[in-house]
Amino acid sequence: MPPQFAAKRLGKELQKIHNSLPPGIELVSAEDFEEWVLDIKVLDNNPLYKDQTYRLKFKFGGSYPIEPPEVVFVKLPDRPIPIHPHIYSNGIICLDLLGQQGWSPVQNVESVCMSLQSMLTGNTKNERPPGDEEFVRANRLRPKDIDFYYHDNNV
Amino acid sequence: MKVKIQKWNAVATWRWDIPEDDVCGICQVHFDGTCPTCKYPGDDCSLLSGKCGHNFHMHCILEWIKQDSAKGQCPMCRQRFEWTEQHNETSIDTTQGPANTQNQGQDQRVEG
Repeated sequence: MPPQFAAKRLGKELQKIHNSLPPGIELVSAEDFEEWVLDIKVLDNNPLYKDQTYRLKFKFGGSYPIEPPEVVFVKLPDRPIPIHPHIYSNGIICLDLLGQQGWSPVQNVESVCMSLQSMLTGNTKNERPPGDEEFVRANRLRPKDIDFYYHDNNV
Repeated sequence: MKVKIQKWNAVATWRWDIPEDDVCGICQVHFDGTCPTCKYPGDDCSLLSGKCGHNFHMHCILEWIKQDSAKGQCPMCRQRFEWTEQHNETSIDTTQGPANTQNQGQDQRVEG
């Protein structure tokens, strides 16, 4: 993977992001081509997420976009971790799109944000993934190294 | 008045024979530009057209295809990514009409 590939691609994305972003997605910071922070909102009236803003942290490796970015929700006083059967309370997201198996290099920061918006929009379950407490206590792996078991592909 | 042309210089430009606003889905660079690793567009940084109809810079799609996780699939449609054999400049059959050269990688240029 040529060294400047990720930076050039991210530069293109940033240009586009500065021009416009879809509703409910805002860029918080993009100081370099290693870590970006964005806020997302769910736009419909799903009572689970109504009036809330959620903070996402993207980390890019040198192999982006051939390899997926690492994407987690970040907890702040005014930025909770959204409740969802595929989102652990430490912010780690279990989404096939973000794993080696589901990722495609034509995905980008904007499309990942939109997928997360729609993942929340479509959810009706007010619950964490099974084993959340244990996972949050014991997990020392980085999200991309976790071999998620997709226990319920309908969510 | 009679004008006798003594000398003339012809100038030609070319571009890839694909929709003008198309970008490579992998690097997001316009096809008239190169992939992020190259300097000059054209033969040095050619395009590959998949049989599925999706185009990429050759260098970009090869980076993807060599990953195990790519499973040989087109990043756009996840069909098997296959492309037609590339022809060398010297092997262009001049009796072929433009329609025949449309999906042949390096031949995929039109004078414009």
